[in-house]
Amino acid sequence: MEVRKTKQLTKMALALTAACVTSIMAPMAHADTVRVTVAYYSDQTEPYFKKMAEAFTKANPGTDIKIEMVNWDTLQQKLQTDISGGSNADLAIIGTRWLLDFVKDDVAEPLDGYMDKSFKNRFIGAFLAPGQISGKTYGLPIAASARALYYNKEQLAKAGFPNGPKTWADVIAASKKIKAAGSYGFGLQGKEIETDVYWYYGLWTNGGEVVGKDGKAAFASPAGIKAATLYKSMIDQGLTQPGVTNYSREDVQNLFKQGRVSMAISAPFLAKQIKKEAPNLQYGIAPIPMGTTNATYAVTDSMVMFKNSKVKKSAWKFLDYLFTKAPRVAFTSGEGFLPTTKEEATAPQFADPDTKAFVALLPHARFAPTVTGWEDTAKAVSDAMQAVYLGKAKPADALKKAAEDANKALGQ
Amino acid sequence: MTQSASSRPMMPWLLIMPSFALALFIISYPFFNIVFQSVHDVSRFGMIRDFNGLTNFLKVMADPVFMDVLRRTLIWTVSVVGGTVLVSVPVALILHQDFYGRGIARTVVMLPWSVSLTMTAIVWRWAFNDEYGMVNVTLQKLGIISGPIHWLATAEWAFPVEIMVGILVSVPFTVTIFLGGLSSVPGDIYEAARIDGATPWQMFRKLTLPLLRPFINMAIVLNVIYVFNSFPIIWVMTQGGPSNSTHILVTYLYELGFRLGRPGEAAAISLVMLSMLMIFTGLYIRMQPKESGEA
Repeated sequence: MEVRKTKQLTKMALALTAACVTSIMAPMAHADTVRVTVAYYSDQTEPYFKKMAEAFTKANPGTDIKIEMVNWDTLQQKLQTDISGGSNADLAIIGTRWLLDFVKDDVAEPLDGYMDKSFKNRFIGAFLAPGQISGKTYGLPIAASARALYYNKEQLAKAGFPNGPKTWADVIAASKKIKAAGSYGFGLQGKEIETDVYWYYGLWTNGGEVVGKDGKAAFASPAGIKAATLYKSMIDQGLTQPGVTNYSREDVQNLFKQGRVSMAISAPFLAKQIKKEAPNLQYGIAPIPMGTTNATYAVTDSMVMFKNSKVKKSAWKFLDYLFTKAPRVAFTSGEGFLPTTKEEATAPQFADPDTKAFVALLPHARFAPTVTGWEDTAKAVSDAMQAVYLGKAKPADALKKAAEDANKALGQ
Repeated sequence: MTQSASSRPMMPWLLIMPSFALALFIISYPFFNIVFQSVHDVSRFGMIRDFNGLTNFLKVMADPVFMDVLRRTLIWTVSVVGGTVLVSVPVALILHQDFYGRGIARTVVMLPWSVSLTMTAIVWRWAFNDEYGMVNVTLQKLGIISGPIHWLATAEWAFPVEIMVGILVSVPFTVTIFLGGLSSVPGDIYEAARIDGATPWQMFRKLTLPLLRPFINMAIVLNVIYVFNSFPIIWVMTQGGPSNSTHILVTYLYELGFRLGRPGEAAAISLVMLSMLMIFTGLYIRMQPKESGEA
């Protein structure tokens, strides 16, 4: 979900426009100013929030909304600096997995006091839950996405799977034929952010879990070994692109857009990118291949309010506005995310087959659990997988070591 | 001339005072902040929790990855600085000769300096791409390799590649220092040596190298400081991966602080780095007077 486009120029231009907006709004005296830290999803993000701020100010004279745009890569760093210096904004978009640290540090405001039943009812329940910690709601799901298997229709039809592979065995069978035709079958991510997640697909669909009910690492299980062995055997048979540890998430997506790999697992926004960058590519969207069970990964990003905000009332009003139908539809369809409120889900923008395919996967979706040490677990698992992919460690040994490392941080 | 002897020693202090005060102010705040963080439990988002003494340092020391990274940082620094000096001396000697097109040659050597380190690293990341990188394409066209080499996928290739890029970006600065040094060497001593029948190699060993020594030392010290702390090349090309196998201290501390959310431990590492550089600078200062006596 953290779409990373470091287009310096665009950002500078956006910063300039933001500066203009604030200077235009400045003359309104005695106004509440609500500062909002917003993450950069795409070049749509800033114009969207700018428009929302304008519309809100028009309806609520006396309240200024100041949007501060940050790249995903530097968001955690900015929040860290701002919070420790006490200069944080009033509202911020954060990765939901950080929420627990926010609550532990007592910087997030519980929102239940502001919400009535009908407000809570606006949300699709599965997406509101990750923002709740010990019965209190701290984050509202501003963005949500899930993952599915993208497949190249032409190549898969030639390989005998016109509707995409259903199981991992199908993926292997199809990849063998695709390999014989001179292309790569399954795009496997092997470096940087979400290398762990790419392996969790195999783990979950084989019935495994990342973190057990006891809050300890549970991925070094038979299912985990099976998943790692599966990926490694695909690498060894040349069914993935070669040199997988050289491919980040974006690199794998690019291979798919170029038609170099026939299958890749990604989020809804890839469909938007394909339409823009490779309009001739015929792609299909299928569930994550099954091992013994169906699963997918879902992520939400949350909007939080800071406890030290001096304008909580106005900040809440703006939140309330953002989570009404029209603003939600504009945001979600503009960014290529999934609807998080019931009303927006009925909008015609989300009646297309792509979005429907993703929404259909949600009943099996796994969310990153709200536990401390999730990032450490991700790092330990990514390192272990890289060692396995490179043939430097056996799946069982690498996973055992990763579990030990993860347990040092989990639940601390 | 009219100054009295007693007031003279004051003058340099007064002149240096404003910049000294400014430097002290700019350096001391983050320094004390880092020391403070390193002895506290700091949350992911920078909230100082409890005083925990040396726990952060002990945790870092007990981490096997840290020891690996420390060892690799030394390899990185020695290889890049050593390689840079080895490459720069002949380059400087050639550029010091008078030949047609010297101005252009000098400009070309200096060019990498004008590009930001991050940009250079990104360009090389592309160049070493498996599928469409120019390095693989060139090697394949020349028939040297049959299939693409996965340069950045394994540490065996990635780290040497990063060292090579490190050398490449350090060369312009080092050549500049050496050219300055060479221009201060008088030409007549070579003439005298030639009359005495010295070979070019003897002239290089007995004349050029000793006279260049202070400049080589300066280049080594400055480069060690830059290279030891150099973040962009490794971060852009591999982010310390795969499996932590290309981390050096500065990339590792960034990952600890801003990715894994352990600013306290990151602060501890940065203090370890600071003390290592202090020791090195101390050694250099002790070496200084001997040299100037010789030269």
